[in-house]
Amino acid sequence: MHIVDGALSNPVVIAGAVAAVGGIAMGLRSLPLERIPVAGVLSASFFVASLIHVPIGPSSVHLILNGLAGLMLGWAAFPALFVGLLLQAVFFGFGGLTVLGVNAVNIALPAVLVGLAFRPLVARGSPLQGAIWGGIGGAMAIALTTLAVAVSLMLSGDEFILAAKLVFFSHIPVMVIEGLLSAAALFLARRVKPELFIDTKGRLA
Amino acid sequence: MIRSLVLSLALLLPVSASAHNVISSVFLSGSDIEGEVGFSNGDMAVDLLIEVFDEAGTKLGETKTDADGFFLFTPSQPVTHIFRGDLGAGHVAEVTMEASEVATLLGQTIAARTSGTAAQAPAGARRAILSDQARAELATMIRNELRPLRQELTAFKNKSDFQSILGGIGYIFGLFGLGFYIAARRKMGGDI
Repeated sequence: MHIVDGALSNPVVIAGAVAAVGGIAMGLRSLPLERIPVAGVLSASFFVASLIHVPIGPSSVHLILNGLAGLMLGWAAFPALFVGLLLQAVFFGFGGLTVLGVNAVNIALPAVLVGLAFRPLVARGSPLQGAIWGGIGGAMAIALTTLAVAVSLMLSGDEFILAAKLVFFSHIPVMVIEGLLSAAALFLARRVKPELFIDTKGRLA
Repeated sequence: MIRSLVLSLALLLPVSASAHNVISSVFLSGSDIEGEVGFSNGDMAVDLLIEVFDEAGTKLGETKTDADGFFLFTPSQPVTHIFRGDLGAGHVAEVTMEASEVATLLGQTIAARTSGTAAQAPAGARRAILSDQARAELATMIRNELRPLRQELTAFKNKSDFQSILGGIGYIFGLFGLGFYIAARRKMGGDI
């Protein structure tokens, strides 16, 4: 999931960095004071989630949890996931510093999109309904991320269909697991912390 | 509560899991440069094309990894060698061997050749005990003995241990705490 240094062509890396800066700025603007702790906790969850490996055949893939971050935070998921990615790159050598922008866009943009699309649905209705939408959103974020990774590789010269297939199919188990995890987390959040979805003014946060 | 639950769950699970990173290293091996490419979970890159470039990006040659992820390359010029292998799906291994190291290697082999052909006369006591062939065999043996150690060391370097996980989480909380502080100060300042 994390693209490493040197795999992408320079224009892709630069475009990714520019897009990431834009996304972070956008995210910071929509991060009110009272949601900063939530963003921090989700950032930390994302940071450790990538260390949980799901073995598939000879290889293994790891959890990403970007869907959950997007559903809880909306645009604010961008800076939260960026911080997680930065520290993963520094501490574990996942990805790299030059491709940080591309990785941030690949992982955070699907999160934001899923957040924008599913957040109202997650916050509405009964907790169970919210959880089901949350599960779909969680799985969807992974699917979109694999697509984004494939596009980045294609723009750098890889065969798109091949790369996309490879990344997408190896992540189907992750989609299932993340869907269930997101659903469970959102179900619990809706039950015990419904205020996470409503801001101080009583609107949908 | 859910936060602490999620966090503690996430904290407990990954300790034994290894990161899925590309590891690669090169080292001197007699008159060749030997290297290895693989994933940090122990899967080595089998039959992978390794391209060799110099600093300016000119291709110097190429080689292939064997069944254990090892490759051999015989350098001809004392310049910086960059070894690159594409493992697919965004995984690229790139290792550099500095010009000085390549030069020592070439210097050694040249020196060995001249001493082998031209002058056996000034050979010291050491040379007398060990024939050239025995020395070469010994060198290969030591290399083979050291190989697992080297592999383990590379894997160890790429291992993410508990301290760095906790440290990373600490950094995240610190960063967001700082952000919280700045945002709070701004808000307070605006109120006064």
